[in-house]
Amino acid sequence: MKNWGLMAAPLGIVLFGMSVLYLKMNPGGSKLTAEVLQGPLNYVPWLAAVILLALFIQAVIIKRREDTFLFPIVLTLCSVGIVEIARLKPALLVRQLQWLCVAMIVMILVLRFWGRIRRMLGYPYLLGVACIFLLGLPLLFGTEIGGSKNWLVLGPISIQPSEFGKILIVFFLAAYLSDHRRVLTLPAHRIFLLQLPPLRFIAPLICIWGMAVLMFVVEKDLGSALLFFGMAVLMTYMATGSKSYVFLALAFIGVAAAASYAAFGHVRVRFDIWLNPWQDPNGMAYQVVQSLFAFGTGGIWGTGFGYGHPGFIPEVHTDFIFAAIAEEMGLIATMMLMTCYVLFFWRGIKTALSCRKEKEVLLAAGCCSLMLLQAFIIIAGVTKFLPLTGITLPFISYGGSSMVSSFVLLGLLISLSKEQEHG
Amino acid sequence: MPTMAVILKGVRVVLEYGMLLWLLWFALKLTKRMFREVRKESIRQRRPETSQNEAVISVVDASEENLAGRRFAFSEQISIGRGEDNDIMIPEGFVSHHHAVIYQHGSQYVIEDLGSVNHTYVNDQVLQGRAYIKSGDIVRIGMVALRFER
Repeated sequence: MKNWGLMAAPLGIVLFGMSVLYLKMNPGGSKLTAEVLQGPLNYVPWLAAVILLALFIQAVIIKRREDTFLFPIVLTLCSVGIVEIARLKPALLVRQLQWLCVAMIVMILVLRFWGRIRRMLGYPYLLGVACIFLLGLPLLFGTEIGGSKNWLVLGPISIQPSEFGKILIVFFLAAYLSDHRRVLTLPAHRIFLLQLPPLRFIAPLICIWGMAVLMFVVEKDLGSALLFFGMAVLMTYMATGSKSYVFLALAFIGVAAAASYAAFGHVRVRFDIWLNPWQDPNGMAYQVVQSLFAFGTGGIWGTGFGYGHPGFIPEVHTDFIFAAIAEEMGLIATMMLMTCYVLFFWRGIKTALSCRKEKEVLLAAGCCSLMLLQAFIIIAGVTKFLPLTGITLPFISYGGSSMVSSFVLLGLLISLSKEQEHG
Repeated sequence: MPTMAVILKGVRVVLEYGMLLWLLWFALKLTKRMFREVRKESIRQRRPETSQNEAVISVVDASEENLAGRRFAFSEQISIGRGEDNDIMIPEGFVSHHHAVIYQHGSQYVIEDLGSVNHTYVNDQVLQGRAYIKSGDIVRIGMVALRFER
């Protein structure tokens, strides 16, 4: 099945959205002059580049008989993101399109050099060390932007190493866990109802868990900490099938959360906002409260694209883009976006199950659950289901590092789907 | 030009709903296609026909490449072990040369452990001597899990 038809939807969304914005700028339908066309002329070349790259990638995927569902899903998510950014922060639109181009080129490289990348799975400890190194960089050279010290500024561009660290951690966990699966499932110690293997076998896992907490504390990056920790737990469970680890991790994070609640002001603030945002709706809880208002205003069909007031929410183009979508396009659009994420996950798991080697099964499952977990954490935060943790919505939010790393994960997943047979 | 403005406004509203409909159409189409593919696959993977007196052993979990996912059909007897002369050969150190055997007894099947060192496990319980085995039981030998089906 070729699925070229599915590619029509992202194109349609972008065209419709851009024309709505254009009509909003010129409600009278004035003559086309150079001045009016100034805005579109800036972004159209980049948009064309993105579309051409997308068509090229889909053609490559079809030719190699890889999974043709994943890429259209991601394109749809991206198109919603582009349209929203054009509406919320027109100044950042060209930047976002440029990043999208870069991300797609990186994805092509991943598809091309997959044969070499897969060999990395043979060196789990190097991967682990590289991951720790990458996460440690911001501690030494980091700059604080928006309350978290997790940015590296390299001249004109600033990148978030933790976005790339998450790819390495999936690789590390896949390689490490499949090497040690047998040992990790051996029940050696019995503590209450939990069966745990000897300490030296779970030491690397505890190391990862400890690092997540370290980031949580030093860099004030709650979202990434939760993501890393969640990934470690999920992948351990997927590899061993032993629920003892899940309970152990829950106990661990419970203790860590309680300790940081007692020790750090910013954690306490986040938690109190979550419990009762109406204590201080114009101060600390302003962001969450505005986001909730946005959801409420949107209703089922939304206020109409361009008619809402999502500008009241701080950081609306990155972390809170979901609230803006909910306000202007309503419950329907948010449900459909969540459906897209879930279908992406389903497709990823299907890929994982059809892989032959255990490492690749774990890698594929890790890639798609990382995406779903990230989407879940931020959607839950925006809707006040969980305490808010700043993290990007994959493929939709504005952000270069996040875009590139998400496309790398997509490239890995699509390369892994090659092994399975198409009927 | 009030009419022009009204028309443009109408176009804008249509485009706004159009965006939503694109999204809806995409999600519905995607779901439909994916379910169709799953259905096709499940038809293709329908189990091979087994006659009345035939049982199938399928490998559920194995790290060996040439064992993973395989199915063995037999009617009277099947032997499992490390030796080359077995019907199911498991090349692992934990497996004895002649580890276990499954054979027909009347209308049922019996699994017998042939005095193996590391035991045979049926549904995670150590097999003592021999026992009747029923469809759906999981037999674990060494690091390999096998499912018995009739």
